[in-house]
Amino acid sequence: MKKNEFMDLLITELNHNKVPDSSDIADEYEQHFFFKMNDGYTEEEIAAKLGDPAQLAGQYAVDENQRILKGKGIKAFTVFGLSLAAVAAVLFFILIIAWGVVMALFSLVSMVMAACLISGYEPLLNIVPMPSASSILFGLSLIALSVLSAVGCIYFAAFVRQLLRAYRRFHQNTMAAANAKPGLPSLAPFYSFASRSKRNLRRVALATLLAFAALSILAIIVSMLQADSLQFWHMWDWFK
Amino acid sequence: MNIQYKKGIIELCVLSLLKKRDMYGYEISDLLSKEISIADGTVYPILRKLKTDGLLTTYLQEESGGPPRKYYSLTEYGSESYARDREEYIRFAKTVEALIEGD
Repeated sequence: MKKNEFMDLLITELNHNKVPDSSDIADEYEQHFFFKMNDGYTEEEIAAKLGDPAQLAGQYAVDENQRILKGKGIKAFTVFGLSLAAVAAVLFFILIIAWGVVMALFSLVSMVMAACLISGYEPLLNIVPMPSASSILFGLSLIALSVLSAVGCIYFAAFVRQLLRAYRRFHQNTMAAANAKPGLPSLAPFYSFASRSKRNLRRVALATLLAFAALSILAIIVSMLQADSLQFWHMWDWFK
Repeated sequence: MNIQYKKGIIELCVLSLLKKRDMYGYEISDLLSKEISIADGTVYPILRKLKTDGLLTTYLQEESGGPPRKYYSLTEYGSESYARDREEYIRFAKTVEALIEGD
């Protein structure tokens, strides 16, 4: 048998027996041929001394099957443990996703309120009456707050997504290990943004935070001056 | 001799060789097939099994004039397990020898 014939047969049989990493195994035999040929043996001699490729592949398959069988016992145990972990994980994820939803709604409501205040929308201004200078300033500060919480949502969504992916990978790898299959590399539990979007997000967050603080303080001062009272909300009958 | 029977003993021999120093696959196969009558190819499945069982690790090393060699090295678990199996084998072999002696 020539080297190529031997290698072809070996790889075919390995794949037929579903032995993983057949190319890794084939490499080892390639090297064997390389060293033996350097020592002056012919391809036929080397192949004959190596043994029957089908039988060799069978040897790999037997070891592989025994490993899988050994894994069977712990499999039920792993599945049980993973199910318990999954219940806890689902509850945890529902909780933190709910928080994300609350934050997104807060951002949306702030934006709508801001639009109402700036445009002088009557029904809202009938509830909290104020002069237009105050309502525009409060509206602008709400826009800043809305953008700030939107940025918060983006961070939070990325964080939750990465946490979900990491958990999923952990789950898959644990199952793979129980089935004696190779796993994938585990994922970092925390997401890291690309440095450019990280810089941008940080910049927006800082700018909106400062704008929100400055605008709300300004709105309060202007309102106090216009109502000629520190407690302008009483002057304007907000909580009647 | 039965191949499955030999396999366990060859595992022990491989561990014993690697206890002394790291070796690449062909080196092990060459050394063993000189001493024990086995097909040259039989050592490779054993090396792989020992590796998946965590007794050995591998690393690649570039060599001048040739493909990079895959070296096998004994793990801590491997050397513990070798020490245990060695004791067991010696005791077993002595018993068998005493039994079949004089037949």
